[in-house]
Amino acid sequence: MTVSGRAAVPYRHGPAAAPRPVVRVRGVTKTYRIGKDIEVRALAGVDLDIHAGEFVAIMGPSGSGKSTLMNVLGCLDVADGGTYELAGENVGRLSDDQLAAIRNKHIGFVFQTFNLLSRLNAVENVELPLVYGGDRHDRRARALAALGQVGLDDRVRHRPSELSGGQQQRVAIARALLTDPSMILADEPTGNLDSHSSAEILAIFQRLNEVGKTVVMVTHEPDVAAHCKRIVRMRDGVVAHDEPVLEPRRAEDEIASGIGGAD
Amino acid sequence: MKLYDSFRSALQSLIVNKLRSSLTMLGVIIGVASVIAMVAVGNGASQQVQSTILSLGSNLITVSPGNLTDQSLRGAGAQAQNLTLDDMRSLQAQLGPTIAAIHAEQGAGRWQVTAAGQNWNTNVNGVTEQYPVVRDWNMQSGDFFTESDMTINAQVAVIGSTTATNLFGEGDAVGQTLQLRQVFGGGAQGQGQQRARIVNFKIIGVLESKGSTFGFSRDDQVLVPITTAQRVLTGRLNVVNTIVVKATSSETMGETTADVTSVLLQRHKITDPVSADFTVTNQNDTLSALSAVTASFTLLLGAIGGISLLVGGIGIMNIMLVSVNERTREIGIRKAVGARRRDIMIQFLIESMALTGIGGVLGILLGWAITLAVSLIPQASGLVLLITAGTVIIAVGVSVAIGVVFGLYPAMRAARLHPIQALRYE
Repeated sequence: MTVSGRAAVPYRHGPAAAPRPVVRVRGVTKTYRIGKDIEVRALAGVDLDIHAGEFVAIMGPSGSGKSTLMNVLGCLDVADGGTYELAGENVGRLSDDQLAAIRNKHIGFVFQTFNLLSRLNAVENVELPLVYGGDRHDRRARALAALGQVGLDDRVRHRPSELSGGQQQRVAIARALLTDPSMILADEPTGNLDSHSSAEILAIFQRLNEVGKTVVMVTHEPDVAAHCKRIVRMRDGVVAHDEPVLEPRRAEDEIASGIGGAD
Repeated sequence: MKLYDSFRSALQSLIVNKLRSSLTMLGVIIGVASVIAMVAVGNGASQQVQSTILSLGSNLITVSPGNLTDQSLRGAGAQAQNLTLDDMRSLQAQLGPTIAAIHAEQGAGRWQVTAAGQNWNTNVNGVTEQYPVVRDWNMQSGDFFTESDMTINAQVAVIGSTTATNLFGEGDAVGQTLQLRQVFGGGAQGQGQQRARIVNFKIIGVLESKGSTFGFSRDDQVLVPITTAQRVLTGRLNVVNTIVVKATSSETMGETTADVTSVLLQRHKITDPVSADFTVTNQNDTLSALSAVTASFTLLLGAIGGISLLVGGIGIMNIMLVSVNERTREIGIRKAVGARRRDIMIQFLIESMALTGIGGVLGILLGWAITLAVSLIPQASGLVLLITAGTVIIAVGVSVAIGVVFGLYPAMRAARLHPIQALRYE
């Protein structure tokens, strides 16, 4: 499957150049047990491929299994059945610590509630993944570079409480970028933001995608999903629709034209 | 995660919760301080007991009349009059160079002492010429009396430094005359016929100050030749209250004790040592008995401190559990970006160890301050308070160990948290 109608977008790793997908999910199931007898079948056999350089939105109503799929994709949780290969490695049967190493190396998380450590300033928050993997000597430099990528050069010593929501989310994105992961996994990244900040965050994701980053975003807002190149719709624990976005919206244009609302 | 980061992160979170950290630490501080202070007091007390005993003279073997082990209490204690000056002289002759010195003593009771217009009441003791050697006691001024003073029953006296000060103030006592008087006969004051005995002595020396032993000042006494005391003051001829032998060294004390016993048994014509009419006491035995007592005393004090340290440790555990709960989300975030169980566990362990370690160091300082304060209390004056390196190492080691022991469970709880549940925690 090719991705977008915009042929002008340059890819560092195009789908054609990398036949093996970053994410390869086959028949993945997951059942939660609530209390003694109630079982919830959150995933009922999901098949999904995501290639390097894609920008995918995962949509679906509450209870459709999109959050569970997100957790499995992010190696925060392990599927009951089926196989999940991330960057060519089967992560279905790994231990907690091995999963932690995978998360550290291959996945950059961006959460709805930002999830920054309030005690640390921006650059220290960004450094965190390198605290658990990698050297100390170039850590600060890499964190500062990542903050530069999201346009927060002038806020590196600020604590989360001294930053706006949009700025906090940008710190979180910088943190997700730090280890140059195989995939950036964003869970409702604009859910807590006003429309202007949302547009800025989406613009950052689009920019990152343009330079080749793979971005997977869970959202229930069609407006937000319209910025992606492909939309995967979940329903009752399976993929119901999977289609490319022919004309993705450009967040940059929206900011320029003031659609997102100025502040 | 590197250890450096763990330490930084632990200290940071302690600093953020300053009040809570310091209150938690207080438990450990008090625990460690009480261990340090209590053990220091205990050590100091045992040191003091030892030095007090040794200040009576070292390597002493004391012979007293009567058999303290005798079931029938025959001639027990002070009533017995079966030790004589001749016993002492023959011990001196027979043991010769195998002992360092020997002296005999006869108490002459309390006397009214008058000199230079001053009046004083003090103890008078008759002793033999080697008394200063046996008791490791130097002269402040003048000389001690000699064997020839004993032979001629010279009326000469050596007085303690307190006695000298009380009678003569700052003036020189040597060469002065003192008058001993004792009133006897009659009944209550002013009734019947009272007679006074008055004896003059020439002061030939003043002893150095030695301080008090078990509350009795040993600097307030008048020493006279034992023969003079027997003839002029007490009338109890030849009898002595105590013979004290000084062994050449601590090692020869056992041997010398046996020698003293056998010489006296022979002289007293007693074949069975069990029925001896005298008792030989070895200073080493007294010392070891007392140090056993003080050691268990120290142990008891240390145990009391240890209990408060334990309570402090439980406080640590409590606060660490609260902290893990509060920081569930932080743990989730750290796990999401790649922290392994071990990383989380080490982070919280280091935090509890930092709490107890810093608490331990502050506790040592507080314990030291308490010790210092105790040593300033007048009743404890002279109590040498000992803080040894061992005490300090044990206190810090124990407090860090408490950090590990009581921090382990909370740290394990933190490490086991599931990342998703931790992230969702509100």
